[in-house]
Amino acid sequence: ELTKDILVIPGKSELVSDLVNLSAGARFQAIRSLPMSFNERKTVRLTSFIIIHLCNISDNDTFYLNLNLYLSQQEQSELSRQHLIIWQDTLKEIGGRFGTSVLSYFLFLKWLLQFNLFSFIINFCFITIPQIVHAPNISSTTGFRGLELLTGVGYFNQTVLFYGGYNGEVIISKPAYNMQLAYFFTIAAYLKDLVFFLLLLSMSRSFQKNFVLETGPVSGGAWRLLCSWDFSVVNEKAIQYNKNNLAIQLKESLSERLQEKNKMSLSDRIKHLSLHLLAWLLSLGLAIGSGAGIYFLGTDPELAFSFSHNPNNLRAEASTLLLPVVVSLINLIVPLLYSLISKIESYSNPRAKIYISIIRNVILKMSILGILCFYWLNFVPNSISCWESFVGQSVYRLLIIDFIFCLLGIFFGEFLRNVIGTMCIQSLGVPEFDIARNVLDLIYAQTLAWIGIYFSPLLPVMQVLKLFIIFYLKKISLSLNCQPPKHIGRAAQIQTVFIAILFFPSFVGVLSMVAYTVWSLEPSNQCGPFQGLKTPFHTIFNWTASIQNFPESNWVWWIFENILRSELFYYLISLIVLVITYFLWQITQGRKQLIKTLREQIVNVSAEIIRTTL
Amino acid sequence: MGNKQTIFTSQQLDAYQDCTYFTRKEILRLFHRYRDLAPQLVPLDYKNQPEVRLPYELIGSMPELKDNPFRQRIAEVFSEDGEGNMTLDDFLDMFSVLSEMAPRDLKAYYAFKIYDFNNDDFICKSDLEKTLNKLTRNELTEDEVRMVCEKVIDEADLDNDGRLSLEDFQHMIMRAPDFLSTFHIRI
Repeated sequence: ELTKDILVIPGKSELVSDLVNLSAGARFQAIRSLPMSFNERKTVRLTSFIIIHLCNISDNDTFYLNLNLYLSQQEQSELSRQHLIIWQDTLKEIGGRFGTSVLSYFLFLKWLLQFNLFSFIINFCFITIPQIVHAPNISSTTGFRGLELLTGVGYFNQTVLFYGGYNGEVIISKPAYNMQLAYFFTIAAYLKDLVFFLLLLSMSRSFQKNFVLETGPVSGGAWRLLCSWDFSVVNEKAIQYNKNNLAIQLKESLSERLQEKNKMSLSDRIKHLSLHLLAWLLSLGLAIGSGAGIYFLGTDPELAFSFSHNPNNLRAEASTLLLPVVVSLINLIVPLLYSLISKIESYSNPRAKIYISIIRNVILKMSILGILCFYWLNFVPNSISCWESFVGQSVYRLLIIDFIFCLLGIFFGEFLRNVIGTMCIQSLGVPEFDIARNVLDLIYAQTLAWIGIYFSPLLPVMQVLKLFIIFYLKKISLSLNCQPPKHIGRAAQIQTVFIAILFFPSFVGVLSMVAYTVWSLEPSNQCGPFQGLKTPFHTIFNWTASIQNFPESNWVWWIFENILRSELFYYLISLIVLVITYFLWQITQGRKQLIKTLREQIVNVSAEIIRTTL
Repeated sequence: MGNKQTIFTSQQLDAYQDCTYFTRKEILRLFHRYRDLAPQLVPLDYKNQPEVRLPYELIGSMPELKDNPFRQRIAEVFSEDGEGNMTLDDFLDMFSVLSEMAPRDLKAYYAFKIYDFNNDDFICKSDLEKTLNKLTRNELTEDEVRMVCEKVIDEADLDNDGRLSLEDFQHMIMRAPDFLSTFHIRI
């Protein structure tokens, strides 16, 4: 009679019977997401348990045993999940005071840190440990002086920090460990498979969540009022600040709506267009100018190479720091010039302004990196022996100086600006935390680290230390000095844009650069694991030639010779990928059309209902 | 995890764990937060399910809620009596829905109820005006308030009946990917 009473609960009987049919894990998840009060949920839970128990032929003990087992498994996974989330309290505090968009910067930083840690572990295990254990290759000509930390030469020259510290012999052990192959495959695996899939996966997931759902009228008012209030902000001043922001944004969106009705006259439009054109010309000119400047500075024979001819000249060594300092200065000053330039333009859409400034900054940074890579790959191999170590050391210097400038930037840009803004010139106000600029700086540093990883396998260590320190310093500076940014529209969309930035120019550029190095450039003769080979890629040739002799691994050689080396294969692959992309795109278009039709149907149906009831 | 606590029976803890998004540890921690609001009212022994209800003033004074413009509505929506006086069950339920692990649909459902000031299962223009007034006290003029509310209904009302139903609201939420992270209170 108990079951009869329970099954008669109005409206819930179907629900309970659905729940009973699910597996245990799914059932608990479904119970938790029921939109009803707590007591009702408890009743539903109890009901479903009783029914399962009654339908279950096996006895009490196994039922409770299974239940307890499941619960303890749940707990275990909860505990382990909590341990893996480092900095949880700090992130909570930041989110509570500054909102989710600033939090997204710190989450991005944390993601980069975990990523670099992972790549460091891979490199360390597969390349560095065998090298250290088997063939310590340290033949330092100079003792350790302090300047090494900045310039990376001298004592560090022959250590495992740089390419030159590795040699390519086959370590005689059981089984034999071919250092050349290990070096090659580790770098290849790291760069290509992990990063490609990781970034591509996270970007496509992010893209799906944020952009694909953007059908229908997309404009400013509605969602801002009802969906964007940040409940997680608990600081009173921050809440007041957010309220002001919301009011400003609502006013702006109202005035946008009114403005849409005003058509601009032809002369106004021409004026705006020519201003835009002027601004773009100036920006591109600055980017090209900086690139050219860096190139001439780099190829100045006095500056760059005087050191390598005379290893004990401290002054020459310090002069190698000039190039990184100039690069960092450009990275600091030109974005400020860009923001000045953008003041002369007028934008109809504040979001367009943010996107255009991001694009300009990306063009600047990519052109700087492009010029540097060009210089490293074309100019350096012919002029210096052990050129890979030289490139590694240049990257090392760039990263260190960039880090120092970041620290200086925190001090001057935020701390002093805060002091000036509050005490001396009141109208300036407290500095805003500029998310876009900070994220771009992170991406720039990470691109440098990726470029350098072939030439200096332990570079991720430096990134890890750097990111760690930057996290804490930015957090402290944030709490002391800054206020949240005013114009963050859709934080999630901006995040997607950032990941896209990370993927397209950075990674593709890095991949092509390393591919060019491995495929066509001649490795240096005196140092490194690929000494004596024509190109580093020849290790693969040698290896496949050697295993050709073993009949059981003949298929590897066959695959390599006939598939991977034939152009037809790549042509076919690209064709297939293009076709699949076209099909998926068509499906998306079809779905958008379907959504539009369904939406019209809803309106028609409800109009019908209203008409028939009147 | 040993069963060293004496506040709840293990069946009670199991029930809490199954019906909310919290683990045992978090439930005990939240119980202590609840108790800290009024130690003389909340007993340390919940085994015989005492009828303890904390008045809204205490709930609204929590640091996580005290500056939130919607704290009264949140307490009213999650309390059993609809007045904001919460039992421990209501308290856990509230923070469970507002935690990061709750799914989008559940949050949308409760957000809808919070913004529905007159509890008629629709967000009408007066509800929107009240929401807007809570979010921006003096910065918008009456005209602007009216225009914003009209604009909201214009954009979000799919079935053209002049007010937002739960489906309209959920559809709008779909287009705001930030919603999951903004409708979230950390405790």
